[in-house]
Amino acid sequence: MSRTTHVFRLFVAGREHNSALARTNLAQLCEKHLKGRHRIDIVDVLKNTAIALEFRVLVTPTLMLVRPRPEVTVLGNLNDTREVLAALRLIGGER
Amino acid sequence: MSALRSPVVRRRVRTETEALAHVLKTHQVDAIVGERDVMLVRLRQVEAELEQSRDELRALAGRLQVQRDHERAAIAREIHDEMGQALTSLQFGLSWMAQALPVTQPVQTKIRALSALVTTTIRSVKRIAVELRPGVLDELGLVKTLQSEVRAFQGHTGIRCAFKTNLSKAACSPAASLAIFRIAQAALTNVARHARASRAGMTLITRGPDVVLTVTDNGRGLVRKTIGNGDALGIVGMRERAMALDGTLTLSGPGVTGTTVTVRLPLSRVLTSST
Repeated sequence: MSRTTHVFRLFVAGREHNSALARTNLAQLCEKHLKGRHRIDIVDVLKNTAIALEFRVLVTPTLMLVRPRPEVTVLGNLNDTREVLAALRLIGGER
Repeated sequence: MSALRSPVVRRRVRTETEALAHVLKTHQVDAIVGERDVMLVRLRQVEAELEQSRDELRALAGRLQVQRDHERAAIAREIHDEMGQALTSLQFGLSWMAQALPVTQPVQTKIRALSALVTTTIRSVKRIAVELRPGVLDELGLVKTLQSEVRAFQGHTGIRCAFKTNLSKAACSPAASLAIFRIAQAALTNVARHARASRAGMTLITRGPDVVLTVTDNGRGLVRKTIGNGDALGIVGMRERAMALDGTLTLSGPGVTGTTVTVRLPLSRVLTSST
C-alpha cells in the first residue's frame, strides 16, 4: 500500500443535505482507507463562488482528488462507496 | 478543436455528462454553479422564505378572524343587554301610560303607534344581535342553526332550499361551528343576491377524513370575472375561515349552470376544540 498523501477538494453548498452527506461520507471513507494519509479542503460555493468557477465546478457536491495525479472528479453525495473508491483508485481492478 | 475530437476526450466528456445527468436525476445536487450565481440553493431559500411569509399571513388572517368574532360577540351582547333592556323598559312605560292616561283618542293613538315602533325596534335589535353573534349556535348546535338559517333563507327569498346532514348536533367545536355557519351564511347570501335561482340546497356531511359543506343553486352560475373578483362575493373571507381550520374552499367553474360552493375541513379540526 502506497504512503502517498491523498489531497481532496470538496465543493459543497453550505449545510445543504447532499453537501452534508458528502462531507460525512468522505470523512468516513478517508478514516477507513486513508487513515493519516489524507487532507480535505472544503470549499463552500455559497461563500466562494469564484473558486468554484475557477475549477469549473458545475454542481455541488463535487469531489476532486487533487493528488496523487491524475486528477479525478466525482459528482454527488458519495453515498455509493464502491463507485467512489473505484473512481478514486482506492480499490483495484479485482472488483 | 482537434483535441476535443480525440476519442479519449470525447469519452471523458461523455462520462462527465453522464455523471452529471445521473446526480441530477438521483437528486444528489444541492446547487448549480453558474457564471452569475449559485442556483437551486438560492431558489430553495427564496421558496422557504415565501412559504414562511405565506404561513405568517395565514396565521395573521386567522387571528384577525378570531378577533373579529370576539368583537362581534361583545357588540352583540352589548346591543342585546343594554338596548334590549332599555327598549323593554320603554315598552312597559308606554303600556303604563296607556293605562294611566284618560282614554282620549289622540294620546292613545300616539301611544299605540310608539308602542308598535318600539316592538319593531326590539325585533330589529334582536335580529342584529343574532347576525353579529348567532347565540343559537351555542344553544342549539351547528346543525339546528343551519336548519334554522335555511328556513329563514326560504322565508326571506322564496327560494326553495333543502338541507341534508349526517352530523350529530353536538359533533362540532365552537370555532368550527362558527366558521361553518359563517361560510354557509355567506354562500346563501350570494345565492339570494346574485344567483337568480329558484332552488338551492345545503349539505353538511362527513366524507372520509373530512367534513364537507356544500351550498348549491340552480341559478345563472359564476362568470370568470366574478370568480377573479372573489372579494366581491365574500369568497376571500370564506376561504380564510376554511384555511384557518386547515380546510379548502372551491367554487364550481364558470360556464356551468348553477353554482356550487364546497368547503372541505379535516374532521379532526371540526370535532376537537380549536381556535
